[in-house]
Amino acid sequence: MRYHPLPRTAMPVVALATLVLIIWIGWGTVRSPAALWAPGDLSRYHVDIAGCTHCHEPFRGPSPARCVTCHSDRSFESRSTPAVMTWHREMVTQQTACIACHTEHRGALAHITDRAKVNPHGEFVFRATGTNSCNTCHEFGARVAEHPTLKEGPILKQLYAKGRGAHQPGRMAQCLACHVGGGQP
Amino acid sequence: MTTVQRRALVIGVVAVAAVAGALIFEAVLSVEPASPFGHTRNGHAIGWLGLASILLVFVYPMRKRYSPARRWPRGWFRVHMVAGILGPLLIFLHSGAHYHALVPVLAMVSMVIVVLSGIVGQAVHAMAVRALNDQRRRFQQEGLSEHDIDSKLHSMASQEEAFRIWQAIHAPMTLMFVALTALHVVGALFFAGVLS
Repeated sequence: MRYHPLPRTAMPVVALATLVLIIWIGWGTVRSPAALWAPGDLSRYHVDIAGCTHCHEPFRGPSPARCVTCHSDRSFESRSTPAVMTWHREMVTQQTACIACHTEHRGALAHITDRAKVNPHGEFVFRATGTNSCNTCHEFGARVAEHPTLKEGPILKQLYAKGRGAHQPGRMAQCLACHVGGGQP
Repeated sequence: MTTVQRRALVIGVVAVAAVAGALIFEAVLSVEPASPFGHTRNGHAIGWLGLASILLVFVYPMRKRYSPARRWPRGWFRVHMVAGILGPLLIFLHSGAHYHALVPVLAMVSMVIVVLSGIVGQAVHAMAVRALNDQRRRFQQEGLSEHDIDSKLHSMASQEEAFRIWQAIHAPMTLMFVALTALHVVGALFFAGVLS
């Protein structure tokens, strides 16, 4: 059977469409690069960062050198405990990549620290105790994931006294088992 | 249900099942929901493998145009069909059902258009050729001369032209697919690093 060539217009039409698409992508890259290129939304911690190259080094990926421009020694001094600061300073000295533990582009509500301790009580515990930090009742090691221990304090004593014997060491992580929906304490 | 409809249904069901299979397999591989398989080292490797398979597809059109023997490269056409289905399935495995960035989404859409037009075009062509051969056999049994058969079949063969719309989509859309895939690959290397 004779070979029939394609309609003459097919190729130019697709070539033009491709060109328009590439120009649109170029324009979009300038306007909102995340929509075109990011594999997921940034977490709430980094959502205000406007430019991709704030964290990504071209063709080398997310680079610790760029992380420390914001997460500097000084920021650790003012915003974290001495143990956390020492831990991260060691990591920087050992040239460990930040992305070995910290992930991004996993959605606005994602946890961005691998193997981090997730609050087992739920947010309910803060409302029930009137506190706003894990440190009020717990002591942590260098990393939040390590060895959270209880601090004996008035809040803990008060909790133990309440709950008709249900509040016992080892059972405190299961607040939501009895306090359904985090409603009535 | 006619033979054509039954064939189309089988092809449709197999295509949907294959893509769903790849997506489900990816979901199983994404053990931790926070880190999809496509973003892991193995996920990247599957992407490169899919790309290699897709590049193999281009040998057929090259050989068809620049073959020294000027013969239709049947063997390379088989490679074209197998690699043209296997490669995109690997890409589905690479992507999973995580669609966020527009550039790879557009590359994926253009890939689906190219593959579907190829499958439909090939199925339609195969069915038309079979119908022509059946008709020829029937005319031969009726004792018609070869000349008469050819002229009678000519009108039927020209109807097949209507199906060439699929080829008019298949080959040119490849240009869009290649351009968008190149953008996706360069973009991924730019943001994630060449050695990631």
